[in-house]
Amino acid sequence: MPIESADAVQPRLAKGVRLQTDSATGKSVLLFPEGIVELNETAQEILSRCNGRTFNEIVRALAEEYDSDVAALAADVRETLSDLRRRKLIELI
Amino acid sequence: MTAPRPYALLAEVTYRCPLHLSVLLEPCSCPQGGGYSDMHALNGELTTDEWKRVIRDAATLGVLQIGFSGGEPLARRDLAELVHAAREVSLYTNLITSGIGFDDDRISALRDAGLDSVQLSFQSDDADLADEIAGARAHRRKLDVAAKIRAAGIPLSLNFVIHRRNIDRLPEMIELSESLGAERVELANVQFYGWAFLNRAALLPTQEQVTRAREIAMEAKARLAGKIDIFYVLPDYYETWPKPCLSGWGQRYFTVNPTGDVLPCPTASSAIPDSRFENVRAHAIDWIWRESESFNRFRGTEWMPEPCRSCPQKEIDFGGCRCQAALLTGNAANTDPVCTLSPNRARVDAVLRDINSSNNHAPDWTYRVNPKTLDC
Repeated sequence: MPIESADAVQPRLAKGVRLQTDSATGKSVLLFPEGIVELNETAQEILSRCNGRTFNEIVRALAEEYDSDVAALAADVRETLSDLRRRKLIELI
Repeated sequence: MTAPRPYALLAEVTYRCPLHLSVLLEPCSCPQGGGYSDMHALNGELTTDEWKRVIRDAATLGVLQIGFSGGEPLARRDLAELVHAAREVSLYTNLITSGIGFDDDRISALRDAGLDSVQLSFQSDDADLADEIAGARAHRRKLDVAAKIRAAGIPLSLNFVIHRRNIDRLPEMIELSESLGAERVELANVQFYGWAFLNRAALLPTQEQVTRAREIAMEAKARLAGKIDIFYVLPDYYETWPKPCLSGWGQRYFTVNPTGDVLPCPTASSAIPDSRFENVRAHAIDWIWRESESFNRFRGTEWMPEPCRSCPQKEIDFGGCRCQAALLTGNAANTDPVCTLSPNRARVDAVLRDINSSNNHAPDWTYRVNPKTLDC
C-alpha cells in the first residue's frame, strides 16, 4: 500500500529492525541484518512517533511540536517514510 | 592515524562444518580444516567465557552489531549463550548459517536468547543443482529450516552465492525467496579469494550472463520494494572502479576467528601471505583495534601508492581490496587491479577475455573435501 494513497496507514518498524541509541555518539540508529543507519534528526523525530499513530497523526503531532506548516511537513514525512519503506526498514499496517 | 570506532564484529565461532564446502561458497573460513566430528578441531577454539569477554569488549569499543559465523556456528552448543551475552550489551545479533543442524529446539533456544535475525545461505533454487554444488543433500533441509525460522517469527535473510553455473537461475532464486517469505535477499556473485580464486575459470560468469543478471535483479528490486530488500553484488572483475572493501581497512569492521585472532578482514590471513595478527588471549581488543600493526597497516590513506595517493576517489573506494591486490599483483599495498587506473588492470582484462572467448568451456571445479587431513 503506497503511503501516497493511504494517510490512515500506521507506519511501524519492519520485522527485524531495531531503533536504538548509539552510546558512542548519543544518536539514534536503526539496526537490521548486516546494516546500520544513523538517523538524522528528522528521521529520528518521525520514527519515535511510529508507535501506533497513523500517518496523519504523526504529521499533526510534529506540526504541533514544531509549530510548522502541515502540508510542507506532510511532504517531508512522506518522503522519509517512503525511503525507509523501500529499504524494508518500516512497514505499513 | 587515529582509529575510528568499529561498528560490527564478525565472530567466527568455530571451524567445524558438516558440509563439503566445495569452493568457499558457504560462509566458511576453514583454513586448516577439521571435520564436523573431529574433536581435535576443538583444541584451540575460544571457550564460552572467552567469547563472552570478546563480545563485551567489542561493545565497549563501539560495536553495535555481531554476526555469528564459522564454519557452521550451530556446531557450537553454547551459541544461544553467546547470543544472550551479545543482547545483554545491546548488540544486534545475526546468525549466518547453512541451516544444517538447525532443529526446532535450537531455533526456539536462539529466539529466546534474543537472536535478531538469521541469514541462510543457498546455493541455488534447484535441489539437484544445489546438491551438486554444496556437495551434500542439503537443499531440501534448508527449505525446511527456512520454514521453521519463519514459523518461529525470526526475520529471515537469504544469501545466494552466484557464479557461472547458477547465475542464469536468478529469477527462480528470487521466486524461491518470495515463497519462503524472506525479508532480505542477497544475490552475491562469489568473490575470488581462497578456493574460489583457484576455481575462478569455472565460477566467473560471462559478460552476457552478468548483464542479464543485473537487469533481472534491478527489475525484481523495483517490483518487490517494501516487500523484500534485494541486494545484488556484481562480480567485481566486471567493474570499472574497485569496491570500497570493508569501507576501508580498520574503519568499521573486524573479525575474530575461532582461535581468537583478530582480523581486519576475514580473508586476509589466506590472501596476504606476510600478514600476522594479534590474539585476544594475549592483547586487549581495544589495543589491537587502535594500536596494532595489523590494523594500522592499511588504515587511512598514508599507505597508498599511486595512482591512489593523488586520486580524488581515495576516500570513496579506499584503494579497493587488499586481498585482491595481493592475489593478482603479489603486493597487498598495490591499487586493487580492478581499478581502471591501476597499472595492473590488464591482468583482470586477460581473465575476462579468456572467460568470454567463444571457445571457452567452463572447466569442472575441485571440491574442497571436508578436510581432516588435507590442507585447504
